[in-house]
Amino acid sequence: MKLLALMKKEFHRFFHDPRLIVTMLLPGLLIFLLYTFIGEISYADEARSYKVYVAGNSAVVVGILEQTILERGDKVEWLPLENEEEARAAVEEGEATAILKFSENFDPLGEGGSVGIVYDRGSEDSLYFESIASAVLTGVGMRFSIVEETVKEDATVGAEFLSALLPMLIVCFIFSACMSVTLESVAGEKERGTLATILVTSAKRSHIALGKIIPLACISMLGALSSFLGVALSMPKLMGVSFGFLGGYSVWSYLLMLVLILSIVPLIVSAIAAVSALSRSVKEASAYTSVLMILVMVVSLVSGMLPSMGDWVCAIPVFGAVVAMQRVLEGGLYLWQSFLAVGVNLLFTALFVLLMTKLLSSERVMFGK
Amino acid sequence: MEEIVRAEGLKKTFTLSKKQQRIEKTGETRRVAVDGLSFSAYRGEIYGLLGPNGAGKTTTLRMLSTLIKPDAGDAFLAGHSVVKEPERVRDIVGFLTSDLKLEGFFTPDYLFGFFGAMHGMEKQVVAERKRELFARFGIDKFAEVPVKDLSTGMLQKVSLVISIVHDPEVVIFDEPTNGLDVLTAKVVTDFLCELKGMGKSILLSTHIFSLVEKLCDRVGIIIDGKLAAEGTLEEVANGDLEKSFFALYHERKGEIV
Repeated sequence: MKLLALMKKEFHRFFHDPRLIVTMLLPGLLIFLLYTFIGEISYADEARSYKVYVAGNSAVVVGILEQTILERGDKVEWLPLENEEEARAAVEEGEATAILKFSENFDPLGEGGSVGIVYDRGSEDSLYFESIASAVLTGVGMRFSIVEETVKEDATVGAEFLSALLPMLIVCFIFSACMSVTLESVAGEKERGTLATILVTSAKRSHIALGKIIPLACISMLGALSSFLGVALSMPKLMGVSFGFLGGYSVWSYLLMLVLILSIVPLIVSAIAAVSALSRSVKEASAYTSVLMILVMVVSLVSGMLPSMGDWVCAIPVFGAVVAMQRVLEGGLYLWQSFLAVGVNLLFTALFVLLMTKLLSSERVMFGK
Repeated sequence: MEEIVRAEGLKKTFTLSKKQQRIEKTGETRRVAVDGLSFSAYRGEIYGLLGPNGAGKTTTLRMLSTLIKPDAGDAFLAGHSVVKEPERVRDIVGFLTSDLKLEGFFTPDYLFGFFGAMHGMEKQVVAERKRELFARFGIDKFAEVPVKDLSTGMLQKVSLVISIVHDPEVVIFDEPTNGLDVLTAKVVTDFLCELKGMGKSILLSTHIFSLVEKLCDRVGIIIDGKLAAEGTLEEVANGDLEKSFFALYHERKGEIV
């Protein structure tokens, strides 16, 4: 009953303050507007014309691809691949856009197979075609694998870099959502002396810790969800693909991403709550939390730049979830790695709840000058 | 007379930070705030802990209300140990100090309900008690006004009422009239008299002689964390409380600055 009253108080505080609600939901709207705007600018130029070499039996997939390209107002010319060396040279010199190589006995509706996309990262048209083809091939939900190959290894990185950046952006949005409510609720209450008033009651310290962390995590999840929706809804525009909400990823990929995002929220909330309990003021807590945020940002950024890490990294809190998210965004369903990351995040959340309980029981931390 | 509060050799030592050492121009790293303090307060009386600033009054009351733990010794409130049964003690004690604040966003009505729940009270009991106390202290007129918009007097009334939401047997007030204007201070002293009328046992700390003379049945004089004198107001004051206090102070500390 005491835990329930504590949780209700936090929800009451949030849902009866329009300013807090706006601060929490605004990032999602801003992300949507910003990404849509970027997408509009990036893809608002004149219609593109693609020249693509095709090898293998692929009428169904090529048909879907052509339809998508035509819907975008672009043109495409399919050429049979006779000499791969010459075709590669043409792509490298910019005379052709890309090569699509379908494996022998390719059967997208049955046995599957693989599709190779050879493109040039240095060419804008080639890069666009690759992102459309990759998104379409992932999105149609057929059973085949995609093998991407670039003709120039040192070419500039465009859309892929952005994909590697997205999980970091999501984590940053989650962090700011958690920060805005948790600092105020824990460090703010401690600084104002209202937390001490609760400590004088017979409520258990563990209940007070949970009574803060559970509702704050739920509220932060709303913020994270808002950011997530902002990203998901603006993704098609950002990627220049016009087939609706999912932007080329399957429902399962999105669900997995959502689970990963939701597992990060309570961990960050409980970590910020513990830091806030240790701090003497919101200002102090905010300074410590900023360091934590920079750390998480750097780690998330690094994960996007080191694609060849082993699966063991999924056992690192937050970082593991970011890596798992990146892998999902790359087009696969990394189930066990994702669940490992979620499990580790939950385990560390429990540890932070214990730490918070200890801190609430410590007179030096709570009442020390 | 039945003992309701019994302190037995309470001791509390604090570590001085570098900053505190600089401010106080001292090289000592430890400070004994309360040094083997023992005293008893009886049911239904107002007991005053009188002492100068830094004598250890606040530390003593914080130990009694279980906010901090004694390094040695123990205290018993209605027979419950502050060391062994802190949660039980919190349910029978109401503690009010200027360090404990109410969240400005909420209304007195909401906060009363919330703190009632924090003490494990049934909703109906809380509602009944709210009706009674809000009417008695005139809070019903501003029960729905957020705390941040209340005047100092109104806020003090709300804080007082919320500290006794759970109908505690013992009410502890730390420097209850400190920093208050005369009108608000009167709200507090009237409230204390009301509580005594309700049969509550009250323990208060102060350095104001007139407050002790006006309210207290018994008094304990505390100097340097030790009990210097204890007894009824007549016994301790010996006709003039202020004079007796300074005589004791001079005896213990030497000259009075």
